[in-house]
Parts: sequence; C-alpha cells; structure tokens
Amino acid sequence: MSITNKITVKRAEIAVAVILALCSIALMIKSAENRITWNAEENMGAGFLPFYLSLGMLICTTLTIIKFVLKRSPQSKDDTPFIDAVAFKFIAVTIISLVVLVLAIGYLGIYFSLIFFLAFYLRYFSEKSFAFITIFAITTPILTFLFFEWMLKIPLPQGISEPLFYPVYDFMYGGFSFAVKMIFIILTVVLPTALVFLTTRFIK
Amino acid sequence: METVGFLLDGIFTSLQWFNLALLIFGCLIGLFVGAMPGLGSVNGVAILIPITFIIPPTAAIIFLAAVYYGAMYGGAISSVMLGIPGASTAVATVFDGRPLAVKGEAMTALTAAAVGSFVGGTVSVILFTLFAPPLAEVALRFNAPETFALMVMAFATFVGLGGDDVPKTIFSILIGLALSTIGLDLITGKPRLIFFNIPGFLHGINFLVLAIGIYGIGEMLWTLEETKGKVQMSKLSVNMNEVGRAFGALKKTIMAMNIGSFLGFFVGILPAAGATPASLMSYGITKQLSKNSKEFGSGVPAGVVAPECANNSASTGSMLPMLTLGIPGSPTTAILLGGMILWGLTPGPLLFTQEPEFVWGLIGSLYIANFFTLVLNIALIPAFLMVLRIPFAILAPVIFVLCVTGGYAPTQSLHDVWLMLLFGFAGYILRKLDYPVAPAVLSIVLGPLAEKALRQSLILSDGSMGIFFDVSEKPIAAVIMYIAIVLLIMPAFGPLYRRFFKKKQTA
Repeated sequence: MSITNKITVKRAEIAVAVILALCSIALMIKSAENRITWNAEENMGAGFLPFYLSLGMLICTTLTIIKFVLKRSPQSKDDTPFIDAVAFKFIAVTIISLVVLVLAIGYLGIYFSLIFFLAFYLRYFSEKSFAFITIFAITTPILTFLFFEWMLKIPLPQGISEPLFYPVYDFMYGGFSFAVKMIFIILTVVLPTALVFLTTRFIK
Repeated sequence: METVGFLLDGIFTSLQWFNLALLIFGCLIGLFVGAMPGLGSVNGVAILIPITFIIPPTAAIIFLAAVYYGAMYGGAISSVMLGIPGASTAVATVFDGRPLAVKGEAMTALTAAAVGSFVGGTVSVILFTLFAPPLAEVALRFNAPETFALMVMAFATFVGLGGDDVPKTIFSILIGLALSTIGLDLITGKPRLIFFNIPGFLHGINFLVLAIGIYGIGEMLWTLEETKGKVQMSKLSVNMNEVGRAFGALKKTIMAMNIGSFLGFFVGILPAAGATPASLMSYGITKQLSKNSKEFGSGVPAGVVAPECANNSASTGSMLPMLTLGIPGSPTTAILLGGMILWGLTPGPLLFTQEPEFVWGLIGSLYIANFFTLVLNIALIPAFLMVLRIPFAILAPVIFVLCVTGGYAPTQSLHDVWLMLLFGFAGYILRKLDYPVAPAVLSIVLGPLAEKALRQSLILSDGSMGIFFDVSEKPIAAVIMYIAIVLLIMPAFGPLYRRFFKKKQTA
C-alpha cells in the first residue's frame, strides 16, 4: 500500500482539524501577551479581539472534530485517498520547486533563480524541446526585469547577482536617447518574445 | 438628470485614450483568464492588482473591472470547448454549452454565451446606474455602528446563504479576521501576534498575500491536481454563417435573458453570493419555467444564455455594495475593495462626493467594456481556441512567476512571499476538505475596517454593546444586526425544515 492510499480523506480531515485546533490554542496564548480584557473604563485591550477570535476558531474546530467523531460530516465516512498518486507527484514537485525557488531568490536573486526554476519545471512536466525551454527560461526573467524595474520602478531582490545589473542600470538611467533605448527594448523584448511564439508553433 | 451628467462624464473619462487602452487590454486579459480552465476573475484580479500601483486609481479600477468583466465572458469558452468550466462562474454554462459543442454546434453555444453576457451586462449596468446614487445617499448617513452592523451582516450571509459546512465557514471567517489583527494595534499602538519576533509581522499581513496565495498558488495546485496538466478539446469549425444562425436561435431565449439579468443583479448584490450561485440559480429557474424544460441539459441555447446573462449581471451587481457601502458583494470585489484602500481611497458612500471621477469613470467604463468585450469575444474566438491549446505545464510556471513577483512587489519583502506560499498550500488543503476559502479573503479585507468601526462604536457608547441592538437610538444598525442574527441561526433550522418537509411529503 503506497503512502497516498494510506492518507484517506477521513484521516486528513481529523488531522487537519486537530492541527487547526492546536494553532487556535497557540494564537490564544500569543494574544494573551497583551491585555485581553474589555471594560467601560479602559475600553478594549490590544489582545481582546485576537484572543476571542482564536477562541471562536477553537470552538469551530472542536465542532468539526465532534461532527467527525459522530460521523456527521461527509469527510468522516470517506475512505478514498485524499490525493491520488499521479496528482501527488505533480503537487509535491510543484511545492518543493516553489520552496527552492523562494530560497534561491534570497541568495541568487530573482532573475537567475527564475531561469533555473522555469528550466526545471518545464523539463520535468512538459514535453517541450531543449531549445524551447532554454528560450522560454531566459526570456521570462528578461520580461519580468523590464516590466518591474523599468516600467514599474520596483526593484526585485537580486541577491549576489546584483553587481551584474549595474551596467544595465547605467544604461537605463544614463543619458541615452529615446531611440537607443527603443532599439534596446526591441532587441531584448520584442525579438525574444517573437522567438518564443515562433518556437511554440514550430519547435515541439 | 444629475445622474445622466455624471454618467456622461464617466463615459468620457473611460474613453480617454489611456483609460480606453487599459480597458481593452483588461478585457483581453479577462477573456484569456476566464477562458483558461482553473483561472477566473478572482484569480486574475488578485494576481494583477500589484501592477496597478503605478497608474492612477481611476485607470486602475477601469483596468481591473474590465478584467473582471472579460473573465465572465471568457469562462464560457472553455465550458463549451473543453467541458471544463473556465471559472466557477461558468459551471452552469457547461450543462447545455457542452452538449451543444458535442452536437457540432459549438459556435451557436459560444455566440449565445457572448450575447447573453452582453445583455446581462447591459441590463445590470443600467440598474446599477439607477440604484447606486440613491443608495450612496442613504449610506452617507451611516456612522460607525451602522458600518459595523453591515459588516457583521456580510459575514453572516456567508453562514446563512453560503451553503457550506457551518463550523468550517465560521472558522474561515474568524481566521481571516484573526490574521487581519496581526501587526500594530491602531488604538493602543501595541504590537499584536508577532510570531517568533519576526519583524515582518509588524506591518501586518497584507490582504494581497492571502489573496494571491489562495487564488494564485492554491488554485494552480488545485487545477494541477484536477487536470494533471492535460485537457481535451472538442473540434470547432468557425464560419460566419453559423454566427448568423446562432443569432437566429437567440429569439427563443428572451425569457432566459430576463431571468438571468434581473436575478443575477440582485443575487450579485448579496455579500456571500457573487456570480457563481447567481448563474446556477438562474439556470435552475429558467429550466423550471421553460415550456420545454426536459430539453435542458441536452443542448438548448437558453441553457447557455441564462447562466451567462446572470454571471455578468451579478458581477456588476456585486460592485454596487462595494461602491456605495464599502461591503464587497463577491470575492473579486473584496479584492478590488482592498485595492482601493491600497490606492489611498476610502471605500464607501463618500466616494460619490469625494471621488466622482473614480466612481463614474468605473460605471461609465462598464458600459464601454461591455461593448468591447462582446466584439472582442466573438472576433477572437479562433485566437482563444489557440490559447486553450497551451499546455498547462507551461501556463502554470508563468502563473507562479506572476504570483511570486506580485507577492513581493507591494511590500518588497521576501517574508510576504513565504507567507503567500504557506497560505497557498494551506488554502489548497483546506479547500480539498470543504473549508470555504472566500470568507477568509473577505474577512481579511474587511477585518481592519470592522475593527475600527467596532472600537469607534464602543467608544461612542462607553463600552456598551447595546449600541448595536437599540432600535430607538440606532434603528438602522439594530435592524441590520437582527437580520444578521437571523442569517447566522438560519442553518440551524435547515435540518428541522427538511424533516418537516419530508414528513409532509410522505404524509
């Protein structure tokens, strides 16, 4: 029996309810660091609302657990697997690659991390050719860069790769004429995008 | 008469070239987002909101409203062609749209859907123009107690009318509210719920982090599981003769159009409802009232028109309470409302007097967007069919990239990106176990507003909760509060009612 068959909807339901109940208790304890009382003279303490909201959460999860024990909820009678084996692979690989992506963003910077993330993801899940994946993995971060850093003026994290971008910034904010910048955009945006479109049509 | 003047101003505002360009672009993105299985208006708006920070609020709302609108049109495309609803709002469109496509009349179904959407959209935006100003005028008299009572009613609607498991619904509302209390307390200035002393929690949890987490990452995981990256499409031969024939078939659907437009609008106004239940209800009622109700489900155009009319109408309807009362009528408008706060506006009736350009620009843009989406939708059907062939394995990482950058951009901290991943994963698991996620998004948006209104009311009343229930002193607040209580206890009577009803039937 594989692991995905062992995790039934029934087991997942009770496990999640218990975890949520524990989280609610933790929230109540955390809220109690501030004053949780409320009276006419002092008005509401800073911890009052979070405390009673998490108490409400605890009551709701307890009700869910009671319904489970009394077999009143549809999940409490459901012995089918929570997730089937094929889907589990999809979900697990996606989540792990996303976690690695965010870890890498802090160190490598977003643009280089995206190249690796896209290359891995497409290689793993799609049947696209090496050429397509390479073009796709490189143009997406370039488009992201131009969109965020140039159009929106929002700097994205660059980690250790930051020095590599200094010449690009010099170019972006340097005294180049509009025409030169446009040629640059055509070379870096329009051409690669067109390439990706063409490759989706002709390269399998 | 005054309204007509404002409306004309609004239409001219949305026809300025920059706004118009954004409107058309928004319609296109909306159609695309709606057409992709698994992505709906709420996902599109949540993922795109971070990029609207650099444009003026009027342009931003016109853009996002166009996305919202376009998605309502686009949802039908994949419902008909793939048999998978492009968004939850287009579930009812599958019932008759898919059989039509299987019969080889896909073009009839798509045209019926587009025209239905147009009629629903137009009727509802006219109703909107008529209802919004008087409602805003009434709402101007609302103070903190009335505002708080309205918010309680919005939460109660989820419990009373949401139809989901009650403890799980309330849990979802409460966790959204609890998350919204994280950060500095506005009145005492004390830090609250700073887990493990991570400084990132001091600025609170931005609603976008939760919205993108749930509707971006979580939804993608959900769709990956459902489709396993593969979809099957039915064949479509596009020729213009068929479009003409389809228009001919629409004569018989006038009743469906009426039901969809009016029912959709009023269901859309209700906070918990939104476009999904509106379209399902309108399909059901049209089927019951139709002379040939037995043919429904085997592919009749009226079965496509009714839900499509209703989902567009409801999406406009849900903007009515958002603009006039500051209470969103659907998950998508909850995110738009949060966006308004981020753009520096105060949602509520004051918008009509303080930001007329914003309000009427939005209303005017709905008229224009409706027209453009109809034209774009029918003209670009072949293009959307090409888009639908893009494998999910390519689309998914692109959406993830948009989520990660969108989660980072508003606060520029990786802390928020981590939280977004966490919410996305948690949202996916909880949704699989039938915990509704929309109430959590609504309550994290409304949480800070509700808390402010509650504490202001309590300061007014010297700490007495009676202020919300005293009919002689605050009649509006009290009436709303009592309605909310009725809604909250309504599910408890459900089983009793059913038992009574069953007995009657067997007797």
